[in-house]
Amino acid sequence: MWSTERTISDGDVVIVWLTRDMIQPLQIQAAKDFNSRFGNYRQSDFIGIPYGSKVGAKNGKGFVHLLRPTPELWTMALPHRTQILYIADISFITSYLNIHKGSTVIEAGTGSASFSHSVIRTIGSSGHLWSYEFHEARAEKAREEFTRHGFLDIVTLTHRNVCKDGFTVTDTADSLFLDIPAPWDAIAHAKTALRKDCITRICCFSPCMEQVLRTVNALKRIGLHGDNHVPVPLKIGEISERLKKAEARREVKRLRQIAQNQAKGKRKREDGEDGEGEAEGKRVKTEEEKGDEVVEMMQETIDDGEETQVDEPETEKMSVSKVMSEVRGHTSYLTFASLMPAHPSMAPQLDDFELYFT
Amino acid sequence: MSLDLSTGEPSSSSTIHSSSTIKSGNHVLLRLPNGDVRGVKADKDSTITVGRLGSFYANELIGQPFGFTHEIVDKKLKVVPPRTLQEVEDTDATNELINDGEFVQPLTIDEITALKQSGVHASDIIKKQIEMHANYALKTEYSKEKYKKRKEAKYSKTFTTIEPTLFNVCDYWFNKDQSRIRDVRADTLSQILNLANIRPGGRYIAVDEASGLIVSGILSRMGGEGRLITICDTDSPPAYPVMVQMNFEKTMVNTVLASLNWATAEEEYKPIVPPSDLPEDEIRSERQKSRLKKRKGLTDALTNTREELFAGDFDALIVATEYDAMSVLDKLVPYLAGSASIVVQSQYGQILNDLQNQLRNIPGYLCPSVTEGWLRRYQVLPGRTHPTMMTSGSGGFILHAIKVYVHS
Repeated sequence: MWSTERTISDGDVVIVWLTRDMIQPLQIQAAKDFNSRFGNYRQSDFIGIPYGSKVGAKNGKGFVHLLRPTPELWTMALPHRTQILYIADISFITSYLNIHKGSTVIEAGTGSASFSHSVIRTIGSSGHLWSYEFHEARAEKAREEFTRHGFLDIVTLTHRNVCKDGFTVTDTADSLFLDIPAPWDAIAHAKTALRKDCITRICCFSPCMEQVLRTVNALKRIGLHGDNHVPVPLKIGEISERLKKAEARREVKRLRQIAQNQAKGKRKREDGEDGEGEAEGKRVKTEEEKGDEVVEMMQETIDDGEETQVDEPETEKMSVSKVMSEVRGHTSYLTFASLMPAHPSMAPQLDDFELYFT
Repeated sequence: MSLDLSTGEPSSSSTIHSSSTIKSGNHVLLRLPNGDVRGVKADKDSTITVGRLGSFYANELIGQPFGFTHEIVDKKLKVVPPRTLQEVEDTDATNELINDGEFVQPLTIDEITALKQSGVHASDIIKKQIEMHANYALKTEYSKEKYKKRKEAKYSKTFTTIEPTLFNVCDYWFNKDQSRIRDVRADTLSQILNLANIRPGGRYIAVDEASGLIVSGILSRMGGEGRLITICDTDSPPAYPVMVQMNFEKTMVNTVLASLNWATAEEEYKPIVPPSDLPEDEIRSERQKSRLKKRKGLTDALTNTREELFAGDFDALIVATEYDAMSVLDKLVPYLAGSASIVVQSQYGQILNDLQNQLRNIPGYLCPSVTEGWLRRYQVLPGRTHPTMMTSGSGGFILHAIKVYVHS
């Protein structure tokens, strides 16, 4: 169950956050343990605490955060059976296809159900998702997940090859999403499944430009005009704080050194004889020259007395950010098309299902 | 001509969304032949004027489904098929011998005006121009298509209505004046809504200084179910102009949306409200009675909203503000439930980078990360497929973090 309660119960699916790169789902079973590289836990200890809690390990060797599952966390945590869709694509497709509360959506194929979970969240209990997967084992896995998460009233999963056998609904969907190798084969069937009484939308997700061109031709053949977008996914900014501590420490030492030598040199000249003092005097002079700027800068401090204490110069901090060195450069091209309903005022030879370019 | 089409609404009977047909009082976005989008109001019995295209009776538009192309003929509307995608064949033509010059297109402006006034249809004007164009035959087929399209944009009296989906309305505002919506491009808006896990029945807090674009997005995804409290910096209720084009169902908006300002959102603050309770014998008129009743309603609503905010346990916080984001978070994150999403938007990367820096050192914020969306559009035409030459430079930046409880 994906719970909406404030606290965790036995049987809930929670997201265990270990690190940014180690996020995993866990269905709570009171009798069992949860062991990880951040410590060992008794799952019964997870029950009754609020979602979002930080929990320390029994053996004191670390901690985890227990989070409420959301489609976004699920996308990061789910076991991949196929290449999945990530947030950038999912959110853009959802918006472009105008998926919202109550929408009826068709998707093929289900894959690892990353997109599916997001759609289920967005359409809510008054909407419906018709999902099709041609691989039997994957269909079964997805069905298990939908059951475990409590979504069976919102999604109908069918094991079917939609390119060969079409969809199982007619005049039903507000939008249709195709993430399959040959979307052009499913497009003719798509027309049947979509509603004819309002604007409906299709999106095809294909990594290769050749697929895009074939898809657009197929869309035009059934009377649609395509629109193409490539959302290049998110750049993650990394912040690094550069403290010039080491340099500053060195600087402090140097100044202190010079200030000390200054004081020593002054005293020596006062006492010293010419001959003996010469060499040292020279040395002092050199240091004095070298340290001219420094001495000037440090004027105040030295004049205050024999104190050779040196004020630490202000450490400069600069906050910078840069993009991670390797980012996901391309997932797929998104091809969108809209289907217009027929208009009764149009020339009578057009039948009810004649569709227009938009 | 009014129509009696099925409304094409989703299966649930009540919805916050605009219906798929134009109703009286709706704000309608019209796409003109040259690609510009103009907003008009379809009030019953009024006349709508659309710049160069002319005017028509609003009643002609009311009842029409969104998305069709209409031609203005004597102030009435006729549905026409949208411009179809002409298949253009490959060509050997080049621009080797084409010279631009004064005599290339010989129809003078006077001749064209005369043709227009004599009622010659746009397509005939264009035909005539093509006939007289010295170099037309030399152009490539692609170039001819482009020429035709440009001329059609100039002389055609048609427009297409745009369905007021969140995506379309965001696009309209982004192209019209993106600074008014803090550069929030449609892909950025979509990511904000998904990252914040906006869904029907959810409870959210938002600070929207993007003309109401964020609020429109949240309301749209909530579908009339749940609760949204916004905090603004004005005395009177906030103006969220983007909501106007969404054509939301008003009663549903009022059930879901409530607003406070930075003073009334403060727990220690006691709002100064005019008195709304007077003993019966002091009430002088019916009008005064109803005025007092109205005042009481507002005061009660304010009190209830404040109590609701202070009781906390909200599902997400979305912030798009000019004010210092950290101070906003300090104020409002305490009202979020554990595991809630926090999403902060800015046009500037530096601001969110600095914020992320601060949040990294605060244990109550899990994994603050800054992202930026990229979007590249392609034109897909036979033999002419390529990314568009001009594209949006920036859609803004997003910071996302998860609220966690530090005491275990």
